[in-house]
Amino acid sequence: MPSRSSASRVTPYADALLARDLPALDPQRRGEAVEFVAIRVADLPAPMKLAVGILAVVFDLGLSLGSRRTYISVSSRLPIPFVSEYPRLIRSLAFAYVWEKWPDTRPDGGRAQVEA
Amino acid sequence: MNLSKDAFGAGDHIEVEVLIIGSGAGGSPTAALLAEAGFDVLIVEEGEWYDQGSIKPFSLDQMEKQYRSGGVTVALGRPSIAYTEGRCAGGGTEVNSGLYKRPPHSMLTKWRDGYQIQNLELDDIDDIADEIERDLSVSYVPGESTLASQALARGATSLGWQNGEIPRWMSYPERGDALSGKRQSMTETYLPRAINAGAILSTGVRVERLEMTDATAGAAVVERRDGKAGRISFRHVFVCCGAIHTPALLQRSGIKGNIGKSLAVHPTVKLSAKFSEEINVDNDVPVHQVTEFFPHSSFGGSASQAGLLALALNDNWRAFRGQITDWRRMSVYYAAITSEGRGRVISVPGMRDPVVTYRLTKNDRTLLAISLGRLALAMLAAGAEAVYPSFRGAPVVRRPADVARLEAGFSATKASVMSVHLCSTVPMGEDPRLCGADSFGRVHGTTNVRVNDASLLPSAPGVNPQATVMALVVRNVRRFIEENVHA
Repeated sequence: MPSRSSASRVTPYADALLARDLPALDPQRRGEAVEFVAIRVADLPAPMKLAVGILAVVFDLGLSLGSRRTYISVSSRLPIPFVSEYPRLIRSLAFAYVWEKWPDTRPDGGRAQVEA
Repeated sequence: MNLSKDAFGAGDHIEVEVLIIGSGAGGSPTAALLAEAGFDVLIVEEGEWYDQGSIKPFSLDQMEKQYRSGGVTVALGRPSIAYTEGRCAGGGTEVNSGLYKRPPHSMLTKWRDGYQIQNLELDDIDDIADEIERDLSVSYVPGESTLASQALARGATSLGWQNGEIPRWMSYPERGDALSGKRQSMTETYLPRAINAGAILSTGVRVERLEMTDATAGAAVVERRDGKAGRISFRHVFVCCGAIHTPALLQRSGIKGNIGKSLAVHPTVKLSAKFSEEINVDNDVPVHQVTEFFPHSSFGGSASQAGLLALALNDNWRAFRGQITDWRRMSVYYAAITSEGRGRVISVPGMRDPVVTYRLTKNDRTLLAISLGRLALAMLAAGAEAVYPSFRGAPVVRRPADVARLEAGFSATKASVMSVHLCSTVPMGEDPRLCGADSFGRVHGTTNVRVNDASLLPSAPGVNPQATVMALVVRNVRRFIEENVHA
């Protein structure tokens, strides 16, 4: 099984990205989705895991600078080859998890009426 | 029923006549035919055994259990291409679409002539294909296919484009329907056959490297499920780990030549189509394909459960996210191209997995744009209300006139390009400039190391490759049996 510790580097950015993209996703569900992302990242092939680990450090640095919301908005749309793959990877994994587990989730992450 | 066993027991060394590494579409038929011919066979598989039906198809649970790295594997490039590989008993046959296309004669002839493959006779391959089709119960769905599949056929037909249902290796119960089939994968067919004939399958065993003495391999150094090391001595070895891990293992073993230098894939782009009725099927894929543009491109349907639809809409999430609530009325479709590009598999010392790269050519990029546009047109012709292409900045396509905007705005670097068909990393043939293995899969420069999987295909075949892989595998192993039993 992949080790959780090696993946925890992605957690802060993944949490912030999901909080922005899916603002109505409740914290418990967001936490579950972030954990799923972390576990999948820990299971990446070795070269990818190394690259993602480096990008995670760089992206995390930005979280401590200024407005977190602005930073996430800008960093998740960077048109830089390879670098832009990082938010894309996190988003892909998280979205796949959220809508597979709770298919009637609203686009903002909120629970569908029928689930309430 | 789990047919695997721990071949090591309390020890750490095994001796066998033939070691087969990998249990997918290459390894399993190889094992069955060799065991039935009386060889002492051990199959080692890095993944685990899962019974058919115990895991929901195309789910994240399946990706975690039966795919390598949870299905998150990438060939680096501009754009990077996501790909998936099975890693379980039965390999990719346990997780793929199950669609069966015979090896095209035009492709076999091109390979035979271009790569100097000896004794590659079309009639022989056809006879083997007949046999495989019986063994795998290749059949059409009984009754009507799913609505998502019918939509693709309807759209193509209304445009006058060639299309048809692709048969699958599925068995259907009497009076069954399109969703009642049971996949005739390797754990249902060739693996039980191999084990009944005396072969042993040991799962949770990863081969680190082959021990080479000059041109001959004598043993495999392995890591077992519990992390313990082991060693397997053999007379012959068949490497059947798929197009990524076969060349990686050969490279780790110090074998050089045309190994891992010519990866070929079918790059694929996607779109989501929304209809007025509920067409989503969350545990199966459409069986129709549009073949009008073969061999350049083909169109088909993808797995489309809500999570995968969210993934398909993700590239343009801000614009498309509102559609996710209509997932029951949506389905994902793909356009796959026959690429001119090539990639590499590079084993890096100290790293467990290889670096994989792929480079699309300019023509590939153009063809992807045109193919995605044509696919959008087919979906509109099928009655789709709207089409949502999977690339950043994509327009919503609501009428044929929008397709021009789609094609103009498309760039491969903005798209989620992916592939599930990987091949050609140890191409077979006698041309030393191009080939990593001889006409029957023996690795050039070695006496007893054979490759028998998708790595041998000289190029991507332009169709679902499993039938082609299996036909060549059976051909090669029969040749091995003739040579070695008679010897």
